[in-house]
Amino acid sequence: MAPVTARFELTTSVSNLRQLRTSDLAAYDAVYLGNIYCRLYEGNLLERPAELREAIRVARDRGRQAYLTTYGAPRNDALQVVRGALEVAAAEGAAGVEVHSVGLLKLVHDEFPSLPIHVGNFANVYTDVGADVLKAFGATRIAPHYELTLDEVDEIARSCGLPLELLVHGKMPLGVSEFCILLEYEATWGVGCPDLCQQEVFLRKEGWGLKSVGKGVLSGRDVCMLEHLPRLLASGHRHFRIETLSESPAYRAAIGAVYREALTRAMAGNGRPEPQWWQAIRDHARLGLCNGFYFGQSGMDYVAAHDDHT
Amino acid sequence: MAMLLAPAGSPEALEAALDAGADLVYVGLKGWSRGGARGELDWQELEDAVGRAGARGVEVQLALNTIPKPRERAVLLDQIPRVVTLGIRTLIVNDVGILSALRGRYPQLHLTASIGCGAQNEADVAFFRDVGAAAVVLPGTVGPDEAAACVAVGGVAIEVMLHMVEEFVLLGKCSMPSYVHLRPTAMPGGLTDVTRQTGSMKRGGVGACYKICEQPWHLEDGHGRRETSMLPSRQLSRIGDVAAYVAAGVQVLKLQGRSLPPQLLRPLVARYRRALEDAGAGAGTPPTAESVLPPSWTVVGR
Repeated sequence: MAPVTARFELTTSVSNLRQLRTSDLAAYDAVYLGNIYCRLYEGNLLERPAELREAIRVARDRGRQAYLTTYGAPRNDALQVVRGALEVAAAEGAAGVEVHSVGLLKLVHDEFPSLPIHVGNFANVYTDVGADVLKAFGATRIAPHYELTLDEVDEIARSCGLPLELLVHGKMPLGVSEFCILLEYEATWGVGCPDLCQQEVFLRKEGWGLKSVGKGVLSGRDVCMLEHLPRLLASGHRHFRIETLSESPAYRAAIGAVYREALTRAMAGNGRPEPQWWQAIRDHARLGLCNGFYFGQSGMDYVAAHDDHT
Repeated sequence: MAMLLAPAGSPEALEAALDAGADLVYVGLKGWSRGGARGELDWQELEDAVGRAGARGVEVQLALNTIPKPRERAVLLDQIPRVVTLGIRTLIVNDVGILSALRGRYPQLHLTASIGCGAQNEADVAFFRDVGAAAVVLPGTVGPDEAAACVAVGGVAIEVMLHMVEEFVLLGKCSMPSYVHLRPTAMPGGLTDVTRQTGSMKRGGVGACYKICEQPWHLEDGHGRRETSMLPSRQLSRIGDVAAYVAAGVQVLKLQGRSLPPQLLRPLVARYRRALEDAGAGAGTPPTAESVLPPSWTVVGR
């Protein structure tokens, strides 16, 4: 287990400089910069070294740690682009880089040894031995695969000795594609790339759905661990993520504020959520809430710690 | 010259693959492969398969491409000596942790990082080489030029899945089915205290991924616009590119389809056998030579 500290870290994610400038990051300690799904995403910081440099400075000027993220499933042609972004991140003193590809883990480890490496969900860390392998390649933080239960997560934490980053709120990434399913609607909807995937688009079935960001699929429901924060803290976890890559600045600010206060109070021993927190969360959860896989159930289900939150 | 690696999900399919000219055949062991119950062999069938293939000079490779939970991993690792005793030398695995554990405990084994490991670029290939993989499988979406760059990494064999279902979400990067329905189920084969995570594409189900990506969707945006849509997927065949992959230095041409019945598998393997021989003779193969498999044999029937 990594040393348990008295402080927690709350992170968010932003794809481009425009979103960064219009987002209130007061609730967050750090921000992941870049869009992991698509090289054509509007102003993707991974593709724009000058804007990435500026974004790192903006985050730093606001007192926030800047992390670079990288593509979820890079092909050869993206490696050189990512190298360019890594050069900027290293030169500007970014606090770390997130990788979803084991190849990028090795690349960063070999070529940019000054950058701490966070292993992302799509790198598929399912077990303690998997975590150990990536640790040997320089991983300093790991996001276990979202399909794992909390008990499995705890087991990895105890075994590998690295801090684990847990998704506590937001739409859970479920898949990466090389196709954009939205492009065929450019003409019909009168919205083109790169604006199309910034619409709120859901793939709906009766009673449930998924969110599409063109080349990525997210959970339709928002993962919400608000009432389970004491459980996470008691297990020694201190690194928490609110997934906002497909969300508005208003979502980023409101949900971040809820979790900042909730985590602060839970650290002090008061883990009871306030009614207004639930209201803020409901206001931003179009298809409802779930817990992901943390309690061993299907990802879209919700397990309550208390009966009176709804 | 590159070798042709064919799937076999039953004794009959094995015979078809051998008859059609496979150089190598891969099979799954009941309970421990992602192909599911329809595409797995029990121990006796596995032993028979190794014997029958060996008599024709063909190696049988074993796919152990689930990701057991830590307490279940020991059960899997303890079965490896029996696998080795049968004469199997190559294991195909789905997870870097399992790969590393096998490498450490059974250094004599030839380990292949399966397509489910998600390798798509030369950096991924270098990683798996360093972890101890002897071979890495790339999807057929990776073209000959990219494959050549991966071959150039060196120190590890490159395999390409030339015939496969290309689904909307990349293999090794999909959790859509388990989001909708995750159902731990008992392992076949009488093993106790071990469950399969049915619905998890990575950890291994009993051949059930619930076809989330094959369903028609209502695509809705915040302005009330609504379309009915299917996520794109296709039967990918690179038979017309066999010569280019061979020229790129790809060592194994792999075909997907452990659930294919013999009557579909036999002509499939034969077509690729012929394409490989044509490539050796400097002749091309028309890309239109491939028939499309029925939809029922895509995704869940893989």
